Amino acid sequence: MGAVGSPLSLIAELTHRCPLHCLYCSNPIEMQRAESELTTEEWKRVFEQAAQMGVLHLHLTGGEPLARRDLPELIRAGREAGLYVNMITSGVGLTEERLATLVEAGLEHLQLSFQDLEEASANHIAGTRAHAIKLALVPVLKRFHLAFTINLVVHRMNLDRLEEFIALAEDLKPDRLEIAHVQYYGWALKNRSLLMPTEEQVQRSLPIVEAAKARLKGKIHLEAVFPDYFGSFPKACVGGWGRQMMLIDPAGQALPCHSAAVIPGLSFDNVREHDLQWIWKSSSAFQRFRGDEWMSETCRSCPRKERDFGGCRCQAFMMTGDPDAIDPVCSLSPHHGLLQELRVSVPDVLPIWRG
Amino acid sequence: MDLNSTPRLAPGCRLHPTESVLLVPEGTLNLSGPTREILTKLDGTQSVTSIVTDLLREFEGADEVQVKADVLDLLNRLEQRGVIRA
Repeated sequence: MGAVGSPLSLIAELTHRCPLHCLYCSNPIEMQRAESELTTEEWKRVFEQAAQMGVLHLHLTGGEPLARRDLPELIRAGREAGLYVNMITSGVGLTEERLATLVEAGLEHLQLSFQDLEEASANHIAGTRAHAIKLALVPVLKRFHLAFTINLVVHRMNLDRLEEFIALAEDLKPDRLEIAHVQYYGWALKNRSLLMPTEEQVQRSLPIVEAAKARLKGKIHLEAVFPDYFGSFPKACVGGWGRQMMLIDPAGQALPCHSAAVIPGLSFDNVREHDLQWIWKSSSAFQRFRGDEWMSETCRSCPRKERDFGGCRCQAFMMTGDPDAIDPVCSLSPHHGLLQELRVSVPDVLPIWRG
Repeated sequence: MDLNSTPRLAPGCRLHPTESVLLVPEGTLNLSGPTREILTKLDGTQSVTSIVTDLLREFEGADEVQVKADVLDLLNRLEQRGVIRA
């Protein structure tokens, strides 16, 4: 294994509290309680350590970051440490006054999630009445000097309205638009058969996204996340395990990705006991899938390992029971056929909303 | 974008204080050659023509026609990427 570089981004899950209960939420099923959340001072120390290590981007997320009353202080601390500060929000509870304090504190980029084009469906997916609040927030956001992204997570329930959603986004004029197919982790995995699009929906959506990318060029920067159950090559999950990013959960556990806790046998170090630099270099969880020693011969001898770093470990474990297995999305995996079975859309199963 | 445009960085885009890197939403753009110097001049009031005049003063002996073409090409590409505004 070569020398370990620095991470480029830090994902700070400030809290797991959230007014939304989205069916596709990537939060873990075992959510951290409010009492165990890191304090303001603890987060500030984490941000300072991150900047010293060479981290450039800080992503404040949750749950809903607005649930933290000290949010302006945390944004200010991130900026003072030298980080680029982004926030991912449902927008629920964000007034013009509150936004002004966040921008004044140094917020540079805000990502607002939408669930669908139609209000009833959007509220159903979010498990609460949030759609109208989000729509009303957009003109307020446009009054402030910050980058604004609209996110839409797509799946069977909203994919047929993708073209109309993009048209709506064009009217709302964000700087960026992210169209991401659901990734099946956390609550989304629980709802997989409900969310799984049909092959036909996926095939129809791809040219719509490509056409929008070309049409919006120079106006709205569109980024798309492919549905990997329909692919033949694995994604470079989190840019490679322990290569580019660190996630700190609300209670201070440092994870190599959102769902690493599903992999048995990993133990996560906590920022309350160790500094980030030590965790990045020495924490066993971060070292577990670095480099190629853990890989099967098929992966180790494959030139694509420089591009996908062996794909997603959580997915490999969840589908095969072996976290070292070839990511089943890869056509060379002996389990690739599983995806065919899992690409089954069952519209009438009961939804499970996150708590 | 033309010679009379007065470009500026888009909201949420800023130069790293020390490195040759432009910080943008969800990423970074590595800046090569004199790109960083060019971007430091974008303030929304100075025209491309005036930026080129400044550059010709800083990089003595550079060919004016070439510099104009290169700067416009760079700014157009960055505008297409959404990180600067005319």
